[in-house]
Amino acid sequence: MSIPVTLNRKDFVSDQTVRWCPGCGDYAILASVQKTLPDIGVPKENIVFISGIGCSSRFPYYMNTFGIHSIHGRAPTLATGLAIANPELSVWVVTGDGDGLSIGGNHLIHAIRRNINLNILLFNNRIYGLTKGQYSPTSRQGTKTKSSPMGSLEQPLNPIALAMAAEATFIARSIDAHTQHLGDTLLAASQHNGVSFVEIYQNCVIFNPTEWEGLDDRRVRDEHILYLEHGKPMIFGKDLDKGIRLNGFRPEVVQLGNGVTEADLLVHDESSTQLAFILASMEHPEFPAPMGVIRRVRKQTYTEGLMGQIATAQQARGVGDLRRLYESADLWTVTAKEEKPVKSKQTGRLSLEMDEAYVDEMDKEPEVTTFMQDRLIEDTIAALSPNAPITIDASASLAKAVRHMNTHHIGCLLVTDAQDRLVGIFTEQDVLHRVVGLVADLETAVIADYMTPDPVALKANLPIAQALHEMHVHGFRHLPLVDDEHRPEGIVSFRDVVHHLKESFA
Amino acid sequence: MSLKDELLNEQVSHLDLSGFCQIASGTAVRAALAAMRQSKTNVCLITTGSRLVGILTERDVLTKVATTLEKLDVPVDDIMTANPITVTPESSAADALWLMDEKKFRNLPVVGQNGHIVGNMTHQAVISYLAARYPVEVLNRPPRPDHFPQKQEGG
Repeated sequence: MSIPVTLNRKDFVSDQTVRWCPGCGDYAILASVQKTLPDIGVPKENIVFISGIGCSSRFPYYMNTFGIHSIHGRAPTLATGLAIANPELSVWVVTGDGDGLSIGGNHLIHAIRRNINLNILLFNNRIYGLTKGQYSPTSRQGTKTKSSPMGSLEQPLNPIALAMAAEATFIARSIDAHTQHLGDTLLAASQHNGVSFVEIYQNCVIFNPTEWEGLDDRRVRDEHILYLEHGKPMIFGKDLDKGIRLNGFRPEVVQLGNGVTEADLLVHDESSTQLAFILASMEHPEFPAPMGVIRRVRKQTYTEGLMGQIATAQQARGVGDLRRLYESADLWTVTAKEEKPVKSKQTGRLSLEMDEAYVDEMDKEPEVTTFMQDRLIEDTIAALSPNAPITIDASASLAKAVRHMNTHHIGCLLVTDAQDRLVGIFTEQDVLHRVVGLVADLETAVIADYMTPDPVALKANLPIAQALHEMHVHGFRHLPLVDDEHRPEGIVSFRDVVHHLKESFA
Repeated sequence: MSLKDELLNEQVSHLDLSGFCQIASGTAVRAALAAMRQSKTNVCLITTGSRLVGILTERDVLTKVATTLEKLDVPVDDIMTANPITVTPESSAADALWLMDEKKFRNLPVVGQNGHIVGNMTHQAVISYLAARYPVEVLNRPPRPDHFPQKQEGG
């Protein structure tokens, strides 16, 4: 076992510029993965992300872990080899409905069938995004796209049912916009020994932005999502007033009350194959979309079985000798053939034209945005009239820091170095959790040892949405603002955001 | 649509309320702090039986305990805010947020009709609501704000 190291989200953020379209749901999934990984209890060097081709498959670049951006549809194959060769690894396969269910469908099925210890994340947006908007294997029948101008003719694949058919030992579903649920689901997937298949409903803002309507809208989502909990009756709705009942072989939505009670409802059982198939068949909007862990059973993994067979064979026949095995077969020598050079026909213009077509796509029909959306994007953090920062030198004592906070009636100090650059943040939460009653002498203790070093800091010219984003992802109430030299310029709180959104309307 | 309109139709109980820890009235401050640390929360609700009688927050710890450590051994009742203002789970999220804003509260215990403590409303509940309500604008942003792409690759 390795020495436990406390990691945080930042440890998993790479230095690569993220190149998804603005507003893409992949960003939310990336943030959730980066936020969850510190909690899975695996050292960073033992985490690997493997992807195929597609928008989602750019994922490994953005993770500060080992990773392979591999061949189209073949991520499960590379991951299979890796997971078997080194069972210590936490291997994550990132794929989409195109990569995983079109070209890579077979590889995906067989990786699942083998119950290899993988975490497979299938981003499902029901469209080909990277190739600019053709229908995918999960698109609903009749979907009109560039490649199906009169509507697609094929039946869509049901990823959950497919995973069931391949006997997946862990199957779950979540959605990009519900970060808390997604984080919990990812954590559960990582803890499962064996294959974990997670379908994530993901919003392609450019080519299929309305696919998950109802499910990704915070105002109504709880009316449309069935949150599954093992052993609990299937109740849903904002006011928990609806449920799922079985009528013969068919599930049906019932309103609680008028003689219908919880006792009439289906109870979720993660070990039931039959129930999992029923849940897989429940399609939104006819039914609420089942989310959470659909199936979780413990079965022998491929690695366990394989290692067992090797042990049995070695017991009977002794440890093998690879050279002897190799030389026991017929051997022959292949001589090199003369290579003739082939002239390249590449003009290099193709990609340029495609980019132009894509820019057209991006420019077409400006979306109608609401007042709130405009405020979040157009107004900058500077418009929040941030408070002047209260700073303290990194060498100051804790006693001084506490006095400073109490004199200014604030709960947050920005810690600076000799050049006045921001090096840390010290809040009243730190006082509660790390100082009071735990530090013997506040006069000799130095703030640098108790602050949070290198805090997230923003520039005042960023949109308000960015401030909310950081507050949401990290759970901060305050955000420091810095200038180009990283000197504190101000501090904004959530209250400032509320005031702004309140005032600007009046 | 303004922020208030957005939140008017949401009940407080539909928000992602924050965690809290709960201890009995009469417990020493030291034990209250230990409970807060253990549950990794910044708020401690103090109850008599099941009735909410007070609230202790990280701000109280900073202003009342940090410099006078003798306070660690007094009952939590001496430094808590007694009889805190609460809202019901059915209150509108807008009313709750406006109340917090007006009174400069950072915590608003949510208490049901029967006195059952449902949760603790903080600004985090509203941040989380706004993030999920406007995922394209708020949630779907790159991990580093300075790393916004000049040009997208793919769709």
